[in-house]
Amino acid sequence: MDEKKAAILGEIPRLRRYARSLLRDRDSADDLVQDCLERALLRLDNWQTGESPRRWLFTIMHHLFIDQMRKVNRRGEAAMLPLEAGETVAQPAEQLDGIASREIIDALQAISPDRRAALVMVAIEGFSYAEAANILGVPAGTLMSRIARGREELRGLLDDTARRRAIRIVEK
Amino acid sequence: MIRRDFSERDIHMALDGELPAEERAAYDAWLETNPDMKARSVRFTADREALRAAFAGVLDEAVPGRLRKVVLGEAPVKVAAPRSRWWLAAAAAVLLATGGFGGYFAGIDGIGQEDPAEDRLAEQAIAAHVIYAAEKRHAVEVPASDKDHLQTWLSNRVGLKLVAPDLSANGFQLIGGRLLPAGDSKAAMLLYEDDKGERISLFVTAESSENAKGTYASAQDGPQAVYWLDKGYGCAVVGSLPREQLAVVAKSAYGQLLAGLES
Repeated sequence: MDEKKAAILGEIPRLRRYARSLLRDRDSADDLVQDCLERALLRLDNWQTGESPRRWLFTIMHHLFIDQMRKVNRRGEAAMLPLEAGETVAQPAEQLDGIASREIIDALQAISPDRRAALVMVAIEGFSYAEAANILGVPAGTLMSRIARGREELRGLLDDTARRRAIRIVEK
Repeated sequence: MIRRDFSERDIHMALDGELPAEERAAYDAWLETNPDMKARSVRFTADREALRAAFAGVLDEAVPGRLRKVVLGEAPVKVAAPRSRWWLAAAAAVLLATGGFGGYFAGIDGIGQEDPAEDRLAEQAIAAHVIYAAEKRHAVEVPASDKDHLQTWLSNRVGLKLVAPDLSANGFQLIGGRLLPAGDSKAAMLLYEDDKGERISLFVTAESSENAKGTYASAQDGPQAVYWLDKGYGCAVVGSLPREQLAVVAKSAYGQLLAGLES
């Protein structure tokens, strides 16, 4: 196996984690990773020597994600979902234990895709602002404002959830 | 020590490791004198830890064989457009996620202009709901007391094995059902009611050549439909419940319908 392929294989766990945080549903996330890998292999020649495989692959995957989210919005298809692997909508986040995890995953899915991607890129994947801005193809200022707004929005949703839970407890 | 004015922006920078080392001490001192900002910083830090924890397990999962195969060249690489429609999962997840339903939905005017099949199903279902759910004495043709007959009759007419879902866990009891026209074919409508008199209906047809899923509302404050289309059948759950609640009931109803169809 050549070095490039070995490097790509090594990035799959990270790509899967990023995809999962963007999409939540496991099969859909792996579909996104698969689309990304297929595209990467078709463009192996574009991968410049010395460029980090992680950055290259994340860029490809992010473009796939954002392009499609935009198309979805433009075409007004946002409310449709094919029924492929059975029931996938709003399923409990499998394997991800704990109410706290589930709540934060729900909240993350509810913020805008641009903000979600920016926040995840930095907060979970650990990219620097410069790297993340480069991968997402936005100026650093835009990245920072997406992160800040994303965090605010996420916190707001978690506060709402906590409030609702408190109300439920009171009602009992 | 470097002196400058800090702001909320610095909280994010500090958290993300972007604050220059030489500013750290001044930043920490600033936080100590600003309890609001400090509280913010503490919450954001906790959220980040929760986010990391929530997805940490993914790194330990075995890499699915299909992904390895793509890289190792054991699977044919497709040049065509993405085979999967994973991005729609993202959209639907947003719809059904806490709080995301309304905002996302409100921004979309006339869902599905591309292909009207799902609109048609949802519109028919909403139209039927508007007419019959409002009827007191003539809401259904066959009452729930005659449930076996109702199921057999509608199954035969519609051409699907229909089992009326049990929605009592969601507080809804079956009132009964009726047969309706749906384009060139027929549809079954099942009507449910909760103890406050709130009604929801299930609309099922055997006509559908595509796969789709979503929500639809024909008017701003009219009832909403959550629908599914699969090869060979379509189903919509209609009601004026809060969106989150409707989504939960719809999911339960759909799961049971599906189990019934395949039983």
